[in-house]
Amino acid sequence: MEISWLQAILLGLFACLSSMPGMGGTSIGNYTLGRPLIGGLVCGLILGDINTGILVGCAMQIVYIALVTPGGTVSADVRAVSYIGIPLAMVALSSYGLNAASTEGAALATSFGTMVGTLGTVLFYGTATINLVWQHIGWKAIEKRQYRRLYLVDMGLPWISHFACSFIPTVIMCKLGADVVELIKTALPMDGIAMKTLFTVGSLLPCVGIAILLKQIVRNAMDFVPFLFGFVLAASLGINLVSATVVAGMFAIINYKIKMLSVRKAEVAVEEEEEEI
Amino acid sequence: MEKKLSKKTLLKSFHNWYYGHLTCFSQEHMQTFGYLCAMLPLVEELYQDEDEKAKAMNTYTAFFNTEPQLGTVVVGMTAGLEEARANGADDVDDETINGLRAGLMGPVAGIGDSLVVGTVIPILLGIALGMSTGGSPLGAIFYMVVWNLFAYFGMRFLYFKGYNLGAKAVEFLIGAQGEAIRDSVSMLGGIVIGAVSATWVGVKTSLTLYNSAGEPYLELQKKLDEVFPGILTAVFIIICWFLMAKKRLSPIKVMLLLVVVAFVGVLVGFFDPNLVY
Repeated sequence: MEISWLQAILLGLFACLSSMPGMGGTSIGNYTLGRPLIGGLVCGLILGDINTGILVGCAMQIVYIALVTPGGTVSADVRAVSYIGIPLAMVALSSYGLNAASTEGAALATSFGTMVGTLGTVLFYGTATINLVWQHIGWKAIEKRQYRRLYLVDMGLPWISHFACSFIPTVIMCKLGADVVELIKTALPMDGIAMKTLFTVGSLLPCVGIAILLKQIVRNAMDFVPFLFGFVLAASLGINLVSATVVAGMFAIINYKIKMLSVRKAEVAVEEEEEEI
Repeated sequence: MEKKLSKKTLLKSFHNWYYGHLTCFSQEHMQTFGYLCAMLPLVEELYQDEDEKAKAMNTYTAFFNTEPQLGTVVVGMTAGLEEARANGADDVDDETINGLRAGLMGPVAGIGDSLVVGTVIPILLGIALGMSTGGSPLGAIFYMVVWNLFAYFGMRFLYFKGYNLGAKAVEFLIGAQGEAIRDSVSMLGGIVIGAVSATWVGVKTSLTLYNSAGEPYLELQKKLDEVFPGILTAVFIIICWFLMAKKRLSPIKVMLLLVVVAFVGVLVGFFDPNLVY
């Protein structure tokens, strides 16, 4: 599988739109096009294999299911994961002759994507640093009271940062990708320790993604119970995700009603006290 | 004459924020330029005098960064405050506006990160992953449509809530009802994430002990699954959570640790992806 120049250019364009800070805006860019699942669909459309694209996207999405960027610190770059990692993983899968739907296929995709995503944080800091130049122009414009120029500074000039830090790296990596994959393939045999480790890492990495998410909602040991409950629903009872969400919704509603009951009780108590006075 | 912001101008301000809050991101000024672009249409409509315009715009050169989706409520609030200031309200000055902005940045970011990025997006992605099992684009399309409708109309709602209600708008977020909603949504999130992990994450051991006749007498994975299906996956996730939440390791360090674990595991035969060409 080869990635043509046209395909690489299209991928580069989506990389510009999708990154955090991306030119597609946060909702459409970062949180839609930047999610590996959507990236998988887009890469699949561009490279002409939607099925593989989605399967690779799904595998990587688990690792990045809760990519929270508190205070602008990132542990992975979505443009690199979705528009460099996914195409390269697709190339690697076809080169190794692996099925993306298999466990090994998913593990290979995950290792590739995570490696690229972690290295890709360089792109994030690169973009943010170049943007400082445009902001400098912005401050000058404010001093001179040319406020309309702020639009250019905020929404126009950052395209240049993205050309340098999103477009060019994506095009180059996608064009070189096939050769690099070929190189890795000859250097590291599949039954060697290195490849076995790579695949095992691929199956372990999603745990980090889930754990990052749990960090947001688990504060003490009790908070693990809903998580384990959901785990049991799927693992032991074999309930699918959409149905599990409905069950979860039921519990959430019960919880809300109980919480509100105690809130109302408190309100009533306060009112009664006031009446007595 | 009472100055009143037109609906058209308010919408323009909202759209500038919706699209542009992070397009010109830098580590130094973060969302400041997005904020300036959101305020510009309002300032241009409220003030004719260049000095007054400059005074108003200078207010918003102060640093701003929060969770952008939920943070829309802050932008709406300042739109209302700016209108009041243009109408000569005595108690609204730079200090009130920037005090409010600085005071809300932190709490809104905390709630927004855990609610939007940590719960809503993962739940939607979880359902989407379920729908995309087997490589169907359906889940990806579902996420694109539902998330973007939610984000656009949710943010628009918050903007106008902020504008109309002023300070009362945040009571909804940090009051007792807001607390109950957050608690319930995070319970929903916990259950769904549990189901997502059980469905999509698979940590398996290949450790098998053979008796003298060469027949396996202990297949560890089988034994473990009899105790609690998927127990290894759950344990690995909880260990990762422990390392990040309690030991304060960064995600990248945990990922590197997993590489070591995978390497050692492969060496001792605990992990074996069973690769074949």
